[in-house]
Amino acid sequence: MTKTVGIDVGSSTVKCVVMEGEGQEARILAKISERVRRRNPVSVIRECLQIVLDQAGLSRADVDYIATTGEGELVPDRTGHFYSMTAHSRGGLYLEPEARAVLDVGALHARAILMDDRAKVLSYRMTSQCASGSGQFVENISRYLGVALDEVGELSKSAEKPEKCSSICAVLAETDVINMVSRGIAIPDILKGIHLSMAGRLVKLLQSAKVDDTVLMTGGLSADAGLVAAVEEILKDEKRDYDVRTHPDSILAGAIGAALWGAFRHRVLKERGDALIGDRGGIEA
Amino acid sequence: MMTTNTGRSLEDILEFAETLYHDAALSSVRDWKKTHPGRIAVGSMPVWAPRELIHAAGGLPVSVMGGGDDVEIIKGDAYFQSYICHIPRSTIEMGLNGSLDVLDGMIFPSICDVIRNLSGMWKLLFPEKPAWYLDMPQSFDEIGRSFFRGELLRIGKEMGELAGHEITAEALKESIAVFDRNRALLERLQEHRLNRPWMFPISEVWSVIKAGGFIPIEEHNDLIEEYIAAAEASGRPPIDNARVILVGSFCERPPLNLLRTLERSGCYVVDDDLSLGFRLIRGSVGAEGDPYQALADAFVERSREAAFLYREGEKGKELVARARAAHAEGVLFCAPSFCDPALLDQPMLVEAVEKAGLPWTAFKYAENTGQFQVIREQAGTFADSIKLWSVA
Repeated sequence: MTKTVGIDVGSSTVKCVVMEGEGQEARILAKISERVRRRNPVSVIRECLQIVLDQAGLSRADVDYIATTGEGELVPDRTGHFYSMTAHSRGGLYLEPEARAVLDVGALHARAILMDDRAKVLSYRMTSQCASGSGQFVENISRYLGVALDEVGELSKSAEKPEKCSSICAVLAETDVINMVSRGIAIPDILKGIHLSMAGRLVKLLQSAKVDDTVLMTGGLSADAGLVAAVEEILKDEKRDYDVRTHPDSILAGAIGAALWGAFRHRVLKERGDALIGDRGGIEA
Repeated sequence: MMTTNTGRSLEDILEFAETLYHDAALSSVRDWKKTHPGRIAVGSMPVWAPRELIHAAGGLPVSVMGGGDDVEIIKGDAYFQSYICHIPRSTIEMGLNGSLDVLDGMIFPSICDVIRNLSGMWKLLFPEKPAWYLDMPQSFDEIGRSFFRGELLRIGKEMGELAGHEITAEALKESIAVFDRNRALLERLQEHRLNRPWMFPISEVWSVIKAGGFIPIEEHNDLIEEYIAAAEASGRPPIDNARVILVGSFCERPPLNLLRTLERSGCYVVDDDLSLGFRLIRGSVGAEGDPYQALADAFVERSREAAFLYREGEKGKELVARARAAHAEGVLFCAPSFCDPALLDQPMLVEAVEKAGLPWTAFKYAENTGQFQVIREQAGTFADSIKLWSVA
């Protein structure tokens, strides 16, 4: 059975999966999500790759296709690369077969992607250059508040009186947060206010993309329970007739999608007798 | 002076070529003139100029392709309206800031209104330097051949006067032979690229081709040979990219990073019209008989399809044929903003491409474009659509 590796090189996190098989029947053999922090991303990619191969009990020679997405050029021995929208839509469909849209919220921007039942991208909308809808923004805020990133979601969910964050600009929002701290606003209330502000933007993004069916949230912020709860709250308040779901592996959607498309391409190239696959066989480090 | 010694590494070759690419001050031309006192350096705007004539006059043909992203436009904008492409602005800028003062003359080929107007401005701004406006034939028959021979003779005569000696038929024949070798080497490079595009990235190939506009042709021939050997030896592995043809960038140059962006997005650019002048004439000109007539005949009979040439009913035929020969899976129309020839041709080319069942996408750039995210997105999704949805 086809063995593929999917590597999603994000601006803050490397996500890596090993998969066996093709399409919805494929299964995940190993997975990892590792923050780059201040390290060389290429080293992080190598480490991640080795870890998932070890987990799966495979050597690199056993891998039929290494598929990348994101900053894929940092993976020198990749077999092929897929654009992030293409990968996230495929990964989204794999994780949530009912999904007909993906809301990918990463470190630098958010994107609403409409797709069909084959994960073909139909259209998309993306946030502009402002960073206030991104993971990097949440990371900055958590640092100002002295809160670990992992705690942000649950703290936000425990808020009693969310403090409205009036700005949609990251720079001004950060100023707001500093003011809130000096006014003695409780941290959960600040975080919830931030999440509601971000969720408002994300819902607007979904509306502008004309989403009207099940949405799967992917990307790093899909793991932020506080943001997910805020999105649900706004959808309920606005009486939207679709729901936004998450999956425990949502953060890996790009890597999963890349691996699945890699398996597809491996079959196509094999059927075509393309030398690309035959010659590469065992891919060396 | 930078010289092309044999035995250089691929990195050294590329560093050499890219240094020339970014050398808006034309220091390689200045160095050449220092070591060749009394000889002329003559610039030419895109797309094609009879560089053989400059060479036969003992001069150095120099490509003037605007300032790219290396020149800040301060005065150049004052000469052109906002709906005019970018290359004349940076060319004027480079003229006014002294970057082009090393040139003894300039050739302006008749490719579009903008270049024609630029030639007029040039004559007003720099009256002490000869500037030739080269009319291209649009009759591809005996009339065209006769007309173009006359144009070449006119420029050849005046070029000889500038150089201080007449261009002899023998000298021109020798020059044609050297340029024929250049054309043959570029065809060889193209064959290598078609067979193994992963070893010949478009950004590298074009840097190497474009270097020929700033060094003697003999050195350029060596450089191409060196590059082919070094790239073949690089052992770069293939990647599952979509094979595409790039069309529309024959004049104003796209930034190198734009080309790199296309490749990073999952495309192998297996054919293009960048620096088209170097490859405009297919095959050899030949050095038999009257060399002026040989050049004129080669241009009229064997020039590639180009936006500034109007062969009735032919638009798009060659593009489709080249795409087929290159096993291209799609076409990227990549034209400079406000480039009339490229953008007016595009609908006709698109029609031909669609009839041939080839997917295509189109975007625009300026020579100083610095943000490639949108192009990356477009090229990336285009490559994905070819790889995932064009296969049955």
